[in-house]
Amino acid sequence: MSEPLVVFDNVVKRFGDFTAVHKMHLDIHEGEFLALMGPSGCGKTTTLRMLAGLEQPSEGEIRLAGQVMNDVKPHERDTPLVWQSLALFPFLNARENVEFGLKMRGADAATRKSKALNWLDRLGLADFAERPVDQLSGGQRQRVALARALVTEPQILLLDEPLSALDAHLVIRMQGELTRLQRELGITFVYVTHSQSEAFAMADRVVIMGDGVIAQTGAAREIYRNPANRFVAEFVGRNNILAGTISSIARGVAKVETPAGEFKVHLPPVRQAADGDALSFAISADLVHLTDKEPTGDNVVPCTLISEEFVGSVITLFLESADGTEFKAQVQERELANIDLKDTKTLYLSWPASSAHVLED
Amino acid sequence: MGSDRTIKWFLRGYVLLLFCFIFLPIFASLVFSFNSQRFPTVPLGSFTWHWYETIWNDPDVWDAVRTSIIVSLCTSLLATFIGFCTAYTDYRYNFRFKGGFLALALLPPTIPLIIMALAMLAWFAKIGASGQVWSIIIAHTVLTAPFAMAVIRLRLNQMDANLESAAWNLGASEWTAMREVIVPFVKPSIISAMCLTAAVSFDEFAVAWFVSGLNKTVPVIILEIVTGNIDPQVNAIGTFVFITSMTLVIIAQVLIMTREKKDAQA
Amino acid sequence: MAQTPRKLDGYALTWRLPIIVWQLLFFIGPLLFMIAMTFFLVKNYRMHEAFEMKNWFKMLSRGFFWDSYFLTLGLATLSTICATVIAFPAAYALSFKVSANVRRWAIFLLIIPFFTSYLVRTFSWYVILAESGPINAILGYIGLGPYTMLNTKFGTMVGYMTLTLPLVVILQTVSLANIDKSLIEAAHNLGCGRTRTVFTVIVPLAKTGLIIAAVFCFILSFGDFVAPYYLGGSKPPTLPIMIIDTTKSGQQWPRAAVVAVMMMVTLFTVAFAAIMAAYRKKA
Repeated sequence: MSEPLVVFDNVVKRFGDFTAVHKMHLDIHEGEFLALMGPSGCGKTTTLRMLAGLEQPSEGEIRLAGQVMNDVKPHERDTPLVWQSLALFPFLNARENVEFGLKMRGADAATRKSKALNWLDRLGLADFAERPVDQLSGGQRQRVALARALVTEPQILLLDEPLSALDAHLVIRMQGELTRLQRELGITFVYVTHSQSEAFAMADRVVIMGDGVIAQTGAAREIYRNPANRFVAEFVGRNNILAGTISSIARGVAKVETPAGEFKVHLPPVRQAADGDALSFAISADLVHLTDKEPTGDNVVPCTLISEEFVGSVITLFLESADGTEFKAQVQERELANIDLKDTKTLYLSWPASSAHVLED
Repeated sequence: MGSDRTIKWFLRGYVLLLFCFIFLPIFASLVFSFNSQRFPTVPLGSFTWHWYETIWNDPDVWDAVRTSIIVSLCTSLLATFIGFCTAYTDYRYNFRFKGGFLALALLPPTIPLIIMALAMLAWFAKIGASGQVWSIIIAHTVLTAPFAMAVIRLRLNQMDANLESAAWNLGASEWTAMREVIVPFVKPSIISAMCLTAAVSFDEFAVAWFVSGLNKTVPVIILEIVTGNIDPQVNAIGTFVFITSMTLVIIAQVLIMTREKKDAQA
Repeated sequence: MAQTPRKLDGYALTWRLPIIVWQLLFFIGPLLFMIAMTFFLVKNYRMHEAFEMKNWFKMLSRGFFWDSYFLTLGLATLSTICATVIAFPAAYALSFKVSANVRRWAIFLLIIPFFTSYLVRTFSWYVILAESGPINAILGYIGLGPYTMLNTKFGTMVGYMTLTLPLVVILQTVSLANIDKSLIEAAHNLGCGRTRTVFTVIVPLAKTGLIIAAVFCFILSFGDFVAPYYLGGSKPPTLPIMIIDTTKSGQQWPRAAVVAVMMMVTLFTVAFAAIMAAYRKKA
C-alpha cells in the first residue's frame, strides 16, 4: 500500500470571499472508521462533500485510490453518502430505493432485486421491502438509507450526521449497528458529526476541525487526554483552561502567573519556553480534587459554588474563583458524601502539576 | 359581551352578502340558461333546453369549441414545459442577472390584457402570423407560463434539498437524475400546471379576440354574440365553459392535496 | 440547492434558454414593437414604418384623449377605493371571526369566479340590471323604481366590482390572517378599543398586503374594457375602449399604441409609488 485510500493534498475551498477550508492535508486509511468532528461551520461537511464530488476544491488535489478526483463528476465516483435528511426517494418503496444505485450501474432487474432484498434482510427490514418509504419509522428509514448506500459494495462510505434526526435511544442502537457493520464489511467509513459522544463511541480515529482548519487528529482517548490547543481543549471533554505568563522555570517545571493564582505546570520536553513567555494549559475536570478544607501543596484555588449538574453517579460542579475565573470539577457522587455543598462557603480545588496539560498557542 | 356577539354576527352576515353579490351573476347565468325568456325578469319564464339546443346545433359554436380545445391543449403543453424550465433553473442555479431573469419570466401578468392584445396583434401582423391558430397559442403561452412556473416552483420547494444530489451520488448523471428523480417528484404539479394553464387559456378572450382573426375561440364567440344583441345562448355557452374550467381546476387541486397528504406522512 | 456552476454547460442552458428566448421573441418583442409603432404613420389604411411624432401630437393635443384619460384614472381610483372598503369588513371577518377551516373554504369559493367567464358574468349583470330586468321587477313590487342602472357609471362600477372583489378579498384576507395575533391582544390589553385597534394596529401591520391588493385592483380596473363597454354604455369612452375603437374600426394602430403606452407609463408610476409606500419602513 503505497498511499492511503484517500488523500487531501493541500486542499483549499473558497466560496466567494469566504474560505471554508484552509490548506488541508488529510489521509484516510483503508478500513478505518474516521470521524470528522467540529462545531457548525468548521468545514467538516464541506470536506465530505468535496470527497463526494459535490463541491470542487479551489486549490489542491483530492486523490482516491491514487487517482486524482478533482475533475471527476459526482456520478462517476463510487462514494455513496448517507445524508442527514436521508434523501430517500419518496415516490419509490424501500426496495426500489435500495436498488437505485444498482440501476444506475446497469444491473438487470433480477440481480437488483435479489441484492436489494439481501441487504434489507441483513438490516432487519425484510418485511418492509415493498413499503412506501413514507410509511416507515425514523429508524427504519435510516436503515433503508444505509442499505441504499451499501448495496453497490463501495470501497468507502460517507456519512453526514446521519443520526442527528433520531430519538436518543435509537441513536445508541444505531451507533452499535454502524460499528458492527463497519467491522464486518471492513470498508472505510468517513463520519461527519458535531457530537463528541458519537465520534468517540464509534471512530478509530477522530479529526477535530475548527474554522476550516484541522485542529487535531488522533485516537479518541488521545485527544481527550492531550488536547493539542485551546480550541480542542474547549470543544472536547470538560476542561479548565488557564492562561498566563511564565514567571520562572526550574527543572522542567514552570511557574505560571494567572489571574486565578500562580500554578506549577510540567513543561513537555518539546516545548521551548523562557521567562516572560505566555503559556496556556488545561486541567481536565475529572482530574481536579475538591475539598472543603484548604489542602497543602501547589495549585490550590479557593472557589465558590455557582451550580451543579447531576447526571447519575457523576456530578459536574461549576465554580468561580475570587478573580472571576470559571472552573469545572467532575466528581463521583460518593466523593461528596462528606461535603455539604449548601453550607460550605469556600471550596478548594487542587491538582498535581503533572495533571496540567500544556496547550500549543 | 353582547355587543361582541352582535358585531360577530353582523360581520358574518356581511360576508354572506358579499358572497351573494359575487356569485349572483354566476348563479343567474345558470338559471337563465334554462329560462325561456329572452329578456329574463321576475317572475321567471318556463324551464327549457332551448338555448342549449341552439348552441348544440350551431356549427360556428362547434368550430369555436374545436379551436378552443386545440388552443388550450397546445398552450398547456408549451406553457408547462417553459414553466418547468424556468422553475428548475430558479431552483438549481444562482447566476448574475438572476433577478432580471425572474422579472422577465414573471412580468406578463402585470401588463393589462388589452395592451398585450394590441402588442401581439401588431407583432404577429409584422412577422406574418396574424389570424393563425398558433398565434393564439403563442400569446396564451406567454400569458400562462408564469402560472405554470409558480405551481412547479412551489412543488420543488417541497423536495428534500439533497434529493437531486443523492441521485448523482448514487451514479445518476444530471440528465438521468432529471428523468428518474426530479420529474417523478414534480409530476403532480406538472399535471396541475397543465390543468391550470388550459383553464386560463380556455377562458381568455381579450387577446384571443384581437389575435385570432377568423379562427375564433369560444370566448371570442361569446364576445361577438354579446356585442350584437342580448342572446341567452351566451348563458348556455357560459355554463359549458364553467363546467370545463371547474373540472380542470378540481383535478389540479385534488392532485395537489393528495400529494401534500402523502408527503406529510413521510 | 441553488449553486453557482463554474461554467455554463449544455445541461444548464437547456433549462435556462427556453424562457429567455420565448419572452424576448413573444413578450418583449411585441411590447417594444408597440412602442416603436407609436412613431409609425398610416396612409390610406396602410401602416408605414417611420419615426414621426405625429401620432403623439395628435393624440395628446386632443381634448377627448385627456377627457378619457382622466375619466379612466378617476374610475379606476374610485374602483380601487370601493373594492378596498367593501372587501375590508369581509376580510376582517374571515381573518378574525371565523375558524381557519371556514376561512380556507371561503378562499376556495372565491377562486371559483376566476374560472367562470368574466364576459358571461358581465352579461348576467346586463340582464339583471336592465330596466325590465329582475331587480327592477322586484323593486316594482314594493313600489320603487324603475331605476336606470345600465349605461351609467354605476353600471361600470358594478362591473369593476365583479372583476376585482374576489382577488381583493383573497389578498386582504391572507394579509390580515397572517398578522401576529399577540400584537392585537397586547393592544386590547393596553386599553385600546376594538375599533381604534383596527385603525391604529391592524391596518398598519397589514399595510403591505392591503396596498398590493389595491394596486392589483387598480391595474385590473384601469385596463378593463368589458365593464365600461357593456355596463357603462361605452360613452364617454375609457382608454381601453379607445384602444379597441381605434384598432378594430379605425385601423389606426399607431394611435392605439400611443394610448397603450400612456396607460403603461401611468400604471408603472402608480405601481412603483404604491410599492414604495408599501415597503417603506418608518424611522
